[in-house]
Amino acid sequence: MPFYHALPEYPELRHVLVRHEQAAAHAADGYARATGRAGVCVATSGPGATNLVTGLATAHMDSTPVVAITGQVPRAMLGRDAFQETDIIGITQPITKHSILVEQVDDLADAIREALQVATEGRPGPVLVDIPKDVQQAKAVGRSGGQAVGSKTKGRARLAAPPDRLTALAYAAGLLVEAQRPLIMAGHGVILSGAYDELRQLAERTGMPVITTLLGISGFPESHPLHLGMPGMHGEVHVNRAIQQADLILGVGLRFDDRVTGNLAAFARGAKVIHIELDPSEIGKNVATEIGLVGDAREILRELLARVTPRGCEAWHEEIESFRRERQESFRGDLSPAGILAAIDEAAGGRCTIVSDVGQHQMWVAKLYPYQRPNTHLTSGGLGTMGFAVPAAMGAALARPDEPVWAISGDGGFQMNMQEIATMVQEGIPVKMAVFNNGYLGMVRQWQQFFHGRRYSATPIWSPDYVKLAEAYGIFGRRVERGDQVDEAVREAIAQPGPALVEFLIEQEANVFPMIPPGASLSEPIEGEPAAPRLVPA
Amino acid sequence: MSGTQAVVVLVEDHLITLNRVVGLIRRRNFPVQTLSVGPTGMPGVSRLTIMMQSDHAAAERAVQHLQKVVGVHDAAVIPQGDTVARELALVKLRPSAEQYAELLDVVQLYHATLVDESLDAVVLELTGSEAFVLSCLRALERFEIVEIARGGAVAMESGTAELRFGAQPQLEAGAR
Repeated sequence: MPFYHALPEYPELRHVLVRHEQAAAHAADGYARATGRAGVCVATSGPGATNLVTGLATAHMDSTPVVAITGQVPRAMLGRDAFQETDIIGITQPITKHSILVEQVDDLADAIREALQVATEGRPGPVLVDIPKDVQQAKAVGRSGGQAVGSKTKGRARLAAPPDRLTALAYAAGLLVEAQRPLIMAGHGVILSGAYDELRQLAERTGMPVITTLLGISGFPESHPLHLGMPGMHGEVHVNRAIQQADLILGVGLRFDDRVTGNLAAFARGAKVIHIELDPSEIGKNVATEIGLVGDAREILRELLARVTPRGCEAWHEEIESFRRERQESFRGDLSPAGILAAIDEAAGGRCTIVSDVGQHQMWVAKLYPYQRPNTHLTSGGLGTMGFAVPAAMGAALARPDEPVWAISGDGGFQMNMQEIATMVQEGIPVKMAVFNNGYLGMVRQWQQFFHGRRYSATPIWSPDYVKLAEAYGIFGRRVERGDQVDEAVREAIAQPGPALVEFLIEQEANVFPMIPPGASLSEPIEGEPAAPRLVPA
Repeated sequence: MSGTQAVVVLVEDHLITLNRVVGLIRRRNFPVQTLSVGPTGMPGVSRLTIMMQSDHAAAERAVQHLQKVVGVHDAAVIPQGDTVARELALVKLRPSAEQYAELLDVVQLYHATLVDESLDAVVLELTGSEAFVLSCLRALERFEIVEIARGGAVAMESGTAELRFGAQPQLEAGAR
């Protein structure tokens, strides 16, 4: 209450009243991903604070700078199970980079400065500031500007001291030039450090093919001849085979997550790994590493660029080409995810931001959307948070008012946060929503089909009439059932000054191919419908 | 090289910081044997000693995680061959009258200290390496042990070297 009482005195702060605190955290995250600056969300004590938890965990897993400000009961009531008291610092401790309980009003301004600094410096992450009510009500002596806070985070940007550092760089550059089958695997770090040009130059100078992880997508242009695609569980066969055949992998700002590596024991057994990473604790965490280069991806790529001599990898490119397989599509009719995504890209003239949710559509978006511009693909990767797209797209749309921002969701994830349409209407946030409706929690259904004898337990999901829903909120709504309706619906949605919703009734039992079964190696993809799956009696 | 690794952490002496460090240990599954915490010569700074059953690389990675915690001033692994580590145990015993002389022999043999003596119970202080403390406890089993209180190890590097804090060079050639 005291916070909101003071808020109107600061018209330069844009406040957005959401319908659910989870959406506030995701929207702050979406804003942070789109801008690289901290997104801030505010919630009251108790349930308001606990509703932020999923959003903070999402930001933590994907290293995005979110600052959460929570109300707390007055200091004298702390620890007494007061009304709406919750230990939010304790609850969020494993999923925040840092948290601060402000115990004196004189510490408040510095606490906020510290929170913003910790959230954004080094490897970004969420920070929570918990402010007891009586601290909010107390008067503080205004101090504009304040003192600069010394670096609060350690273990970051520590390149090995020279001469070790120079030795490591020279050794790495030598390996890059000598390798016969080298690969670059680019992750979120490329986007966080803005290393787009450096990555492209290094790839072009060495002829190294570039693989982009789920969070690395849009860090390298999809149309570039050196771009191979996404690796891992739903990576294309030739991408995963290239990894398995490689003799050198240059990892740039990625975690070698289990969805990327598959069975670790069988991952890239012939490859030496050079790992560029801001956070030294990531080096060697999952994958044995020949050389760890700790620091900002952009700076280290520049250092490497200065040391590599131009070369090509033609024989290796030909070998990878021979690995290519036609992707099996299991869509009926002419309404395909590829067609929908192409229409969205075309209608926006290549200028739009895509925020995807989690599930089958997320994989289609990752694999099929023709990303050319940096940082135009936002998604919840590490935590895999269904319900992320709609609120995160609100944050992205506030950050990028000059281009359409699409929230692409499945029917499951969309229903988790569709209450935020009201926020878009009230606040004038023109998010374009696409719902890929297949009547199932599709990715789980796919697993049930492949690994659980087609027992579709608790995956069929009913949806409301989305066109009527749009109507109820007073926004544009359209249902698309055939391929020939896609272009017009997408164009009309973009033409709306405000939010718009387009539902696509896609094939109900479409699958995402290829797929590496959980626990299997990258060499063991399922490339098409499993033969005659065993039916389990219900 | 696998074995017991001593990790030393300097932290702000706030409960929340200790809470963060312990939370990290739990979350990352550090194979902790003992954990001890106490003040240092520096005001506001506590020293944690974490004894871990692991190889050196895992201990170094633990250090890198610990260094990321806001409120941790620094952390380091003590080189394994150069670790001086000591544990403390207090043992309350109730020896019978006939056993008393025998107990005093054991106390002398192990250089234990008799720190409290009442009508029919004594409290002994044992200080030494983990192996020493365990061996001493075994020797005391023949008396009636009422209670044992053991502290985790505290450790430092032998010789004149001051503990070298900060990340080690990131060149890991031939680690594979």
